[in-house]
Amino acid sequence: MTPLSRRTALRGLGASIALPLLDAMLPARAVAAAPRRPRLICVEIVHGAAGSSAIGAKKNLWAPAAVGRDFDLAPTSLRSLAPFRDYVTVVSNCDVESADPYTATEIGGDHFRSSAVFLTQSHPRQTEGADVQAGTSLDQLYAARFCQDTPLPSIQLCIEPVDQLGGCGYGYSCVYTDAISWASPTRPLPMIRNPRVVFDELFGVYGSGATPEERRARRLDDRSILDWVLRSASRLQATLGPSDRVRLGDYLQQVREVERRIQRVEAMNGSGEPRELPDAPIGVPDSFPEHVRLMCDLQLLAFRSDITRVVSFKLGRDNSNRVYPESGFTGPFHNTSHHSGREDRILEFARINAYHVSQVAYLLEQLRSTPDGDGTLLDNTMLLYGSPMGDSNQHNHKRVPFFVAGHACGVLSGGLHLKAPNGTPLANVMLALLHGLGLDDLPSFGDSSRAFDLTTPV
Amino acid sequence: MRTILAASIALLLAADTAPTVTGTWNMGLQGGHVVPVALVLKQDGNTVSGTVAMPTQHVGERKEIELKGEFAAGVLKISGVVEGAADPTTIEIEGTLQEDGSMEGTLAMIGKETRRVPWTAERLKERKP
Repeated sequence: MTPLSRRTALRGLGASIALPLLDAMLPARAVAAAPRRPRLICVEIVHGAAGSSAIGAKKNLWAPAAVGRDFDLAPTSLRSLAPFRDYVTVVSNCDVESADPYTATEIGGDHFRSSAVFLTQSHPRQTEGADVQAGTSLDQLYAARFCQDTPLPSIQLCIEPVDQLGGCGYGYSCVYTDAISWASPTRPLPMIRNPRVVFDELFGVYGSGATPEERRARRLDDRSILDWVLRSASRLQATLGPSDRVRLGDYLQQVREVERRIQRVEAMNGSGEPRELPDAPIGVPDSFPEHVRLMCDLQLLAFRSDITRVVSFKLGRDNSNRVYPESGFTGPFHNTSHHSGREDRILEFARINAYHVSQVAYLLEQLRSTPDGDGTLLDNTMLLYGSPMGDSNQHNHKRVPFFVAGHACGVLSGGLHLKAPNGTPLANVMLALLHGLGLDDLPSFGDSSRAFDLTTPV
Repeated sequence: MRTILAASIALLLAADTAPTVTGTWNMGLQGGHVVPVALVLKQDGNTVSGTVAMPTQHVGERKEIELKGEFAAGVLKISGVVEGAADPTTIEIEGTLQEDGSMEGTLAMIGKETRRVPWTAERLKERKP
C-alpha cells in the first residue's frame, strides 16, 4: 500500500487542515528520522526582570543561587518551571550590549530599540524612516536553512498591539519596538496578534480552494472548519488503522476546541458589551492568559500538523502598562519595572516576572503531553525565553533574564544552570544554540565573540 | 641635564594620563526611576564645555542645553541656561570622577523652585564607525 504523504491535508471549500504524523506515513517518518530538526520557539518579554537588579540578583529573583545541576528554582521567578526542570537550561549573567546606546542621540532610546536586538543581537540603525536596519534574527536563520519544506517556514505571534506606524520615540521607527523576527537585516517581519488570523493562516491559507473570498465565506458561516472538510476526513478515516484513527480524531477535536474558543471570544467581543481592550480586533481576548493560551495552543497545532517548525512569540511591548491581576499584583507593568531600587517594589516586579514565566509553563506542559516520534514535542523542541533588557529601572542590558527549555532533539540535556563570566554577550549563547540547531558553520552571530559552552557549569 | 629631561618626560606623561571628562556620557538621573540622558563634554585644560539633552514632557523628545564650566581636582562643575523655558531656568551639574571611570553627582534645575536629582554616568565606549 502506498504510504500517506506527510503533506496530506483534509481539504474543503476555503479550508485545508494539515495532518499530524500518522503511522500510515511511516516511510515518510523514516525519511524524516534521518536529520531530525528541532522545533524552535522564541519568546520575548520586555522590561527585563527584577532579578537583574542588584537586590534582585542577591535574592536570586531570576537566576538560582547554585550553578550546575543542583539548583533551587523556588526563590526565583522561574519556579513554575520546576515540573520541567529536567528540560530547563538557565543561562544567567549575560549582557546584551547591542541594545546599549552607541552615540549621544541614542541615549534614552532603550525602550525603542531593545526588541529589535533580542533575536538579532545586532545594534539597530537609529531611523524613523523606511531605512531600518538590525540583523537577521536567530529564528529566521534557522527557518531559512532548514524549514523551507513546511507550508509556513515560520510564524510570528504577539499579544500586545504592534501596529503603529512611523517613529515611536528617540528617533526610532516603531518597527524596532514591534518586530522581533528579521528575515534579513533590513526586513522585519510583521507579527500576528489576532488568534483568528493565526487559525486562518494555519488552516485555510494554503492548498487549493482557499481564496480570500472563500475564507471570508467560511468565517460568515457558523459551522466549524471541520464541517467543511468532513467528506475529506471521512474518506481518509476509512483508509487508516485503529491507532491512526484515534490519533486523527484526537487532533481534529483539538482543532475544533481551539476554533470554538476563538468563536466564543468573537461572540463575546461582538456583543456590544464594553471591552477592556476597546481597540483590539474582535478575535483578541481581553484576558491576557486567555489570549496567551490560545496562541500557545495554536503553536501546538502548528507543530503537530508540521505546518511550521519555527515560532517567534512576543509577549509584551515596551512601555506597556498592562495590568496582570492573575499574578496577584495589580501594578502596571512598565511603572512597576521602574522600581527605584526599592526592595518592596522589586519584589512586586518579580511577581509579574514569575507570572509571565508561568504562561510559558503552560506551553511546556502541552508540548510534553504531545507525542512526537519516539518522544514528545518537548523532547524535540528548543524554546528560548528572555528579554533584551536587564534592570529596567536603570534601562540597562546587563544580567538579562534568559533560559532555554526542551531537549531540542538531544541538543540540550536540561536540568542545568550555567552562570556566564561577567561581560559575556548573550549573542555567545545564541551562537551556541544556532550551532546546536545545525548551523554549525556559522562563525559568529550579532556581537558574539565565541560560542558559549552549553554543557559545562562555569 | 638628565634630571631635567626625566622630569619633563614625567610631566608630559602625567599630562597625557591626567583624567579627563571628554566624551559622551550616559547619565542616569535618579528620579522615580533612572532617566537616561546624554551628557556630551569636551575638556580643554580645566575648561569644559558641552551639552546635556534633557527629556521633555513628550515621551521620546529631548531638549539640548549648552553647558560651560570646569573640571578640576576630579570635580566637574558645569551649568547652562534652558532657552525658551516658560520661567528662567538654569541647569547646574556637579559631579566627581570615580576610580572606575564613572561619574556621580547632583543635577540642579533652578527656576521658580529648585529641584535636585542625584545622577550617575558611564562614558560610552568608543566604537568603530
